[in-house]
Amino acid sequence: MEIIKAQNLVKIYQDNGVPVKALQNINVTIDKGEYVVIAGPSGSGKTTLLNLLGALDKPTEGKVYFEGEDITVKEKSELSKIRLHKLGFIFQAYNLIPVLTAIENIEFSMMLLGIPDKERKEKALSLMDELGIKELANKRPNEMSGGQQQRVAVARAIVNKPSLVLADEPTANLDSVTAGHLLDLMEQMNLDKNITFIFSSHDKQVIDRAKRLIILKDGRIENQ
Amino acid sequence: MLLKLAWRNIWRNKRRSIIVLISVIVGLTAIVLTDGLSNGMMRQMLFNQINLDVSHLQIHKAGFNSNKIVKNFIPNYKQVETVLRSNPEVEAYSKRVFATCILSSASNSSGVIMYGIDPAEEAKVSIIRNSIIEGRYLSTSKREIIIGKKLADKLGVDVGDKVVAMSNTLNGDIGSDAFRIIGIFQTSSSEFDKMAIYVNASAEQEMLGIGDNYHEFAIITKDYNKVTSLKNIFESKLGEKYEVYTYRDILPMLIYQMELYKESMMILNIIIGLALIFGIINTMLMSVFERIREFGVLMAIGMKNSKLYLMILFEAFILGLFGTLIGLVCGLLLDIPLAHSGIDLSIFATGLEAFGVGAIIYPVLSIGNLINAVLFMPFVAVLGALYPAYKAIKLEPIYAINYV
Repeated sequence: MEIIKAQNLVKIYQDNGVPVKALQNINVTIDKGEYVVIAGPSGSGKTTLLNLLGALDKPTEGKVYFEGEDITVKEKSELSKIRLHKLGFIFQAYNLIPVLTAIENIEFSMMLLGIPDKERKEKALSLMDELGIKELANKRPNEMSGGQQQRVAVARAIVNKPSLVLADEPTANLDSVTAGHLLDLMEQMNLDKNITFIFSSHDKQVIDRAKRLIILKDGRIENQ
Repeated sequence: MLLKLAWRNIWRNKRRSIIVLISVIVGLTAIVLTDGLSNGMMRQMLFNQINLDVSHLQIHKAGFNSNKIVKNFIPNYKQVETVLRSNPEVEAYSKRVFATCILSSASNSSGVIMYGIDPAEEAKVSIIRNSIIEGRYLSTSKREIIIGKKLADKLGVDVGDKVVAMSNTLNGDIGSDAFRIIGIFQTSSSEFDKMAIYVNASAEQEMLGIGDNYHEFAIITKDYNKVTSLKNIFESKLGEKYEVYTYRDILPMLIYQMELYKESMMILNIIIGLALIFGIINTMLMSVFERIREFGVLMAIGMKNSKLYLMILFEAFILGLFGTLIGLVCGLLLDIPLAHSGIDLSIFATGLEAFGVGAIIYPVLSIGNLINAVLFMPFVAVLGALYPAYKAIKLEPIYAINYV
């Protein structure tokens, strides 16, 4: 069952008035439950594609259909709603809210959904327990290692049970052992919870674990 | 949680937040102090006038206030007394004989207003007895007179000296009488001290040839806020032959001044608020620009613009609220002791006494103005955050996340 489809996607940036083609004629369909890695060298357009699929950016041309709906024509507020309810994001630099503790970071997106305080805490703690980070509950990001922060970021991304998680270079700042553990965890989430994962990465460890690999080069799909 | 986040965001940069807090605190303390001082000064001007000679209400023969001549005495003062005695709202009253005179000493003379009073009655409605600085207050003796310090200085007289008063009488002649100064008073109004003299009513009645009649009833009520309703009652009971004035009718300029003061306080609040707004805009803008990347993440995880906007406004509101509360406490801590001890402004004594204020000002806080300031400051803080918050929600998530 198709979860997301990119159709004739083109993205052109203006760099000091000079148009730069970041993506050209991208056509890709991803089904529910897939574990996909978008790979390619730096500047190939991996992150740009991920941002378009995640409704964070709009294409210059083409369409993105999420669960059958064209999200390129939706308003800002509608896109926020989709991101909140259906999507999870994991960033290279973790991007946790520095003034919130680990559990509060995880609770935050549930708070945006209007889930009551007690229920939020219970859900967050249960997920943290599942991910083996319960002992970090009251620690702030600056008191955690990179790997710990990225695990909290994973918990934040999946706590609202999204249909799709987009992970942009999630292991780039981690050592190989920590990265391996994190990938184990996400694979497990993919298998257990049937969450669709789309990674952008040039990390060999990530690419090796891909169940489907999309290779980008110079803004075009070279292989999928 | 949004409030919690806003609270913690405030303390990310403690120094900056404390500077904003201090500016709000200083602003509010200034408002509380200025309000207390100005309000105190205005009330002192009003109450000094009331306690000198104006009182809360005055009753005269109709037309007396616009033509203060000897023959305009009260037609039937006993009727007025009956009306006043029957009203429980009347605390005290004093019957006065009134005449403009020339008072002469051996070396000088001066135009004055002579009040003929019953010393015991007058002591209940004015502060003259308590303002004696040399000699004593009037007894029932006919030949006694008390005069103000300024007048005594002008005439070159002292307690024990003789003075002669001259005035028109009822039949158009010039009446005169000699009095011995038995007391010198000094009030908060140098003008009053230059112009007013007090003798026994019977002495003045005799000098003016008006029998046992009086020109004025000066009335102190139990609650000065009820003067208008009392005026209406007295007018209806006494009829057209009499005129009844409240202190507001007698002191219109002072009442206007008090109204003007309220408006000028509002303008002052707005000026302080404007100065604060720019400080808050600057701080909040810095705070927003420092967190652009974070706002991008918040948008990416699905935070609506409205909530992001609200979070930034909360931050400003919390700063404004805390600054207000601390400023209020600081202002009150300064104001309350000063309300008891007063602020000695002796260096401006001449000017203040000319306005009938007195050299020591006792600040009085007006609850209404305080409430306005307490509501105004957090509002100003939120106003100052509107533009930075708008800048934040106008960010595109992708630009914000990649912002360096």
